[in-house]
Amino acid sequence: MTALLEVSDLRVQFATDDGVVRAVDGVSYSVHAGRTLGIVGESGSGKSVGALTVMGLTRAENTTVTGSVMFGGEDLLALPDARLRAIRGNEIAMIFQDPLSSLHPYYRVGDQLVEAVRTHRDATRPAARERAVELLDLVGIPDAHRRAREYPHEFSGGMRQRAMIAMALANDPKLLIADEPTTALDVTVQAQILDLLERLQRELGMAIVIITHDLGVVAEVADDIAVMYAGRIVERAPAATLFDAPRHPYTWGLLGSIPRMDANRGAPLAPIAGRPPSLISRPSGCAFHPRCPYVQDSHTRVDPLLEPVAGEPGHDVACLLDDSRRRALWAELDAVRGGAAA
Amino acid sequence: MRHRLLTVLAIGASALSLAACGNSKSRNEGPAGVGGLPGPVSGQKSGGTLKVLSNEGFEHLDPGSSYFQLDYEVVYATQRPLYSFKPEVPQRTAPDLAAAPATISKDQKTVTVKIRSGVKYSPPVNREVTSADVKYAIERAFTPAVANGYAASYFTALEGVDAAAKGKPISGIETPDAHTIVFKLTKPFAATFVNALSLPITVPVPKEYAAKFDKKAPSGYDSKPTQQAFTGPYVIKDYQPGKHLVLARNPSWDAKTAGDYRPAYVDRVDWTIGADPNVAGRQILTGQGLVSGDTPPAPIVTRAVQTAKGQISFTPLGNRYIAMNTQLPPFDNVNLRKAVLASFDRKALQLTRGGVSAGDIASHFLPPTAPGYAEAGGAQGPGFDFLKNPSGDPALAASYMKKAGYPSGKYTGKEKVVMIGDNNDPAAKTAQVALEQFRKLGFDVAFRSVQHETMYSKFCNVPKAKVQVCPNVGWLPDFSDGYAYLYAPFNSKAIVPENNSNWPQLKDPQVDAAMERASNTADPAARAKAWGQVDRLVTGAAPAVPWFWDRQPNIQSKNVQPVIAQWNAAFDLAFTSIK
Amino acid sequence: MGRYIIRRLLWVVVLLLVVSATTFLVFYALPSADPAVLRAGKQPDPGLVRSIRHTLGLDQPIYVQFYRYMERLIVHGDFGYSYTNDADVRTQILDRLPATISLTVGAVILWLAIGLPVGIVSAVRRRKPIDRISMGAALVAISAPVYWLGLVSLYLFSKDIGKVHLFPGANTYQPISKDAGAWLGSLIMPWGVLAASFAAFYARLLRGNLIEVMSEDYIRTARAKGLAERTVILRHGVRAAITPIVTVLGLDIGILLGGAILTESVFNVPGIGRLAYDAIQRSDLPMIQGTVLFGALFIVLANLVVDIAYAFLDPRVRYG
Repeated sequence: MTALLEVSDLRVQFATDDGVVRAVDGVSYSVHAGRTLGIVGESGSGKSVGALTVMGLTRAENTTVTGSVMFGGEDLLALPDARLRAIRGNEIAMIFQDPLSSLHPYYRVGDQLVEAVRTHRDATRPAARERAVELLDLVGIPDAHRRAREYPHEFSGGMRQRAMIAMALANDPKLLIADEPTTALDVTVQAQILDLLERLQRELGMAIVIITHDLGVVAEVADDIAVMYAGRIVERAPAATLFDAPRHPYTWGLLGSIPRMDANRGAPLAPIAGRPPSLISRPSGCAFHPRCPYVQDSHTRVDPLLEPVAGEPGHDVACLLDDSRRRALWAELDAVRGGAAA
Repeated sequence: MRHRLLTVLAIGASALSLAACGNSKSRNEGPAGVGGLPGPVSGQKSGGTLKVLSNEGFEHLDPGSSYFQLDYEVVYATQRPLYSFKPEVPQRTAPDLAAAPATISKDQKTVTVKIRSGVKYSPPVNREVTSADVKYAIERAFTPAVANGYAASYFTALEGVDAAAKGKPISGIETPDAHTIVFKLTKPFAATFVNALSLPITVPVPKEYAAKFDKKAPSGYDSKPTQQAFTGPYVIKDYQPGKHLVLARNPSWDAKTAGDYRPAYVDRVDWTIGADPNVAGRQILTGQGLVSGDTPPAPIVTRAVQTAKGQISFTPLGNRYIAMNTQLPPFDNVNLRKAVLASFDRKALQLTRGGVSAGDIASHFLPPTAPGYAEAGGAQGPGFDFLKNPSGDPALAASYMKKAGYPSGKYTGKEKVVMIGDNNDPAAKTAQVALEQFRKLGFDVAFRSVQHETMYSKFCNVPKAKVQVCPNVGWLPDFSDGYAYLYAPFNSKAIVPENNSNWPQLKDPQVDAAMERASNTADPAARAKAWGQVDRLVTGAAPAVPWFWDRQPNIQSKNVQPVIAQWNAAFDLAFTSIK
Repeated sequence: MGRYIIRRLLWVVVLLLVVSATTFLVFYALPSADPAVLRAGKQPDPGLVRSIRHTLGLDQPIYVQFYRYMERLIVHGDFGYSYTNDADVRTQILDRLPATISLTVGAVILWLAIGLPVGIVSAVRRRKPIDRISMGAALVAISAPVYWLGLVSLYLFSKDIGKVHLFPGANTYQPISKDAGAWLGSLIMPWGVLAASFAAFYARLLRGNLIEVMSEDYIRTARAKGLAERTVILRHGVRAAITPIVTVLGLDIGILLGGAILTESVFNVPGIGRLAYDAIQRSDLPMIQGTVLFGALFIVLANLVVDIAYAFLDPRVRYG
């Protein structure tokens, strides 16, 4: 089965006054129709830039993009702007983190949906309006007819994100990229939005790429998960595998469980110490080494490759630690984590 | 008029500095190469439209209240007072509406004037002018509706004048027949009075027509000047305050039957108000058929002098002096005042106004076009040693200081001197130079500079304000006569508590007596001589430092044959023609 | 909204009262020349000064004078009488209003027509040569004094004193009702001169706003929809960037309707600005009062219109 979206060796560099920012540094992944890929990482890991690049939204003079993004038999990176626009908002749609700032404050919600419909379809205004109301209804906005005439600031946070989703669905996209779709929302609303995405995927059969810094979010919806660090994928696995048997210390950290380097083994678990690395001057060797509790001398020199984990098909990891040592460490951490949870 | 005009001059002559060598011996001569004053020439052509550009607008076009250079330009082209000045003869009046010079009784208390027959009003009045119209004109001038500004100075000598303020006839003006008017005075003032008859207050006003306008205050004769009954060669055809004025020929006027000396060459005068002075100046110099209505600014004057000498003229106008309060110490000491005069560098003062082209260094008070100027000594002056050196004479000053009781040759008294100046350039520069010179003489000066109008109305014009030095005063006469030049500024009887113009508060019995004699001298030549004598006496009393005789620049287009009314230092619209 | 407007209109009235009281006091308190003495001339008879004072009502206490002034103003719409101009103040102002309106409206159209496109192009082509050139020109236009600009344009382009004889120059203004062609011709240069600095200012303002707006999330959304860049800029970017400009525009129009003194002076367009300027020069209190009140009225009304317009332009703003 061929993938709907095939990203190969994607690299995105921005020339800035301070130097070249390697935001995405050789990322490959694929998404199949009807499947959900979760891309997880801290802010600055390049996950959003990668997604925006797929949409062609990072095209600018100071940006260099290499690699390929195959979608429907075409390399999106090589397409001219006009052709790419025909795909954008049509076959591939995107929703963003802050639905308030992502909706235009001066236009009625309905009108913004109408615009989305009419950009790609020869619909009359009334027809497009009908479609807009239908979409709002679809994403669970009650009294859609009336709400379509309201402005974004009259909507609640969750309603706004539903409206954004409705707008993204305007042209029945094959792929929906959701960039931190729940981050700006409170917890109960987060769950509702995730449920909505799942339901829509079931009903409409589209593929979803969901980008988040929160593993908890993708745990619910993703089929596969890629963990990004410093512009690269450091671990990739089916969701269940990643949660059951993560193989990268950074993933452990994301799981909220990494011991402090100076603490006793039995001490409570803490989040990852230190800060994400600079994308202008990457740390030598393994980019994670400055924050890795298990770092060894050689790790500062050798750059790890993303390699399959033995005996676990679909599970890749980029770590220089010996596989058996990693298994042992995780077993230990998992036990402490389980104990702590109990 | 005085205040307004000096403001205009202050703007006009600023920072003008030309390297011209003036020869102050020949009168009326401006910067090198600029010819004498343009008067009427033979062969001037009739017809065409004269366009006037001015920045300022008119104040009062009612002849009863008009009192300003610009107003006069229009009033004297549209109306006929009893007497007026021919443009090139500012020294004596010419009969205008009057048929002949006035006759004066022996006791100097009765003046009889014959009025020309055949002078008609413009439509809708159309009738012949009578002596009763002149009587009404003078009477209405005293009412609040007209509020004439100079009537109190020259016409309060009329018998029964107090009735006029209440709108009643003045018993001292009699009209025995339609062409005779007799003025009865309470004091022997006739010789001066006849000169004042050149003021526009004597322009006839038909009572039966104007009464309805005069019911309102201010009179509709002023606010709707197009509705006046005109006697001059032109009528005011259109007037929009602050914007525009049009003069057209008066259908009821022709020079022969009216016996008018005005040739009235142009068919129409088109006057635009509010023109930017710099822009207007260029338009006039490069355009066709244009003249300036008010003072062109310094850059335009410079330009004209350098590139268009035939298009500019300079007309003497008024004087400037530094007044010292003769009634307060320390300047109650005449020798001290003479020391000041002797020490003053009047050349430096002249430079503050722009040098030779702006005017000449004064050596007495009557300026070059005034009757009595030559008699007072002309450019050289009366010959006092303390005014001999225009750059100042420190040694002489020191000797006068010693005579004044300061043996060191410098002022060593206790009194602080209060000096109030104008804060606008170039007057502010003049004040600054004066300040330095007073300090150099040892005076402790408390100097304050204020707005031009404030300087006059709150300080220099108010004796109670006890100002000792007014460095920025000057005088323009109401009409070209020694009395109008010298009486108000230097006669002890002219001192009033408010709006005083005798700034030095000179109370000199000799001066007063000479003025009395001069006032009562009727014959023009004898009168000029008498006022020249007054000027000598005033200058000798050293109440002020006379330092400047202004010259007003006027510019015109190439195809304009300019005629300057010297008494008004502005174009004579009834004489200027298109080439 | 209705109640809001009524409340604001009441404020307008209060504000105008305060403005007239202030100007009244300022010119009463300032040591300027006494109008009665000015009118009386030199060597005045004290009786004459007294009678003029009485005629002008200057012998009354200041609060009586102010009360009378306000009474005439409010009850009869009478702004008083200008003694130096010898004309009714209201008639004068209304007479000058068409010129000021002509000047303002034409200049506004011109500066929007130039300033807005330049601002948009500069924002979109940020740091490109076209941006650098237009922003450089804008800086010059903003820094150039209006009076100087007026003189230079006259010396360059006027039919009489210009180097290239293109447009009618100064002192050629005609009312539109009298001669529409002459009106148009005479105003071309004043419009240009008045509009120059405003166009530059608006171009800079719009450029800045638009650059800021173009980095907003909703612009990214618009692009993600697949909209053409032109649509993104004009419909989404400019729509948001222009809203604050409406406020400035409203106030500018209000101020200009109160008189554009310098432009009116250089070209001798007989508008309210010059009327006010002359009045101040001559201590003509009734005319100063009248023009200041008119100016204040325009500014306050412009403020009100701006606020109401804002409610329509920005749906987030609601007045209660």
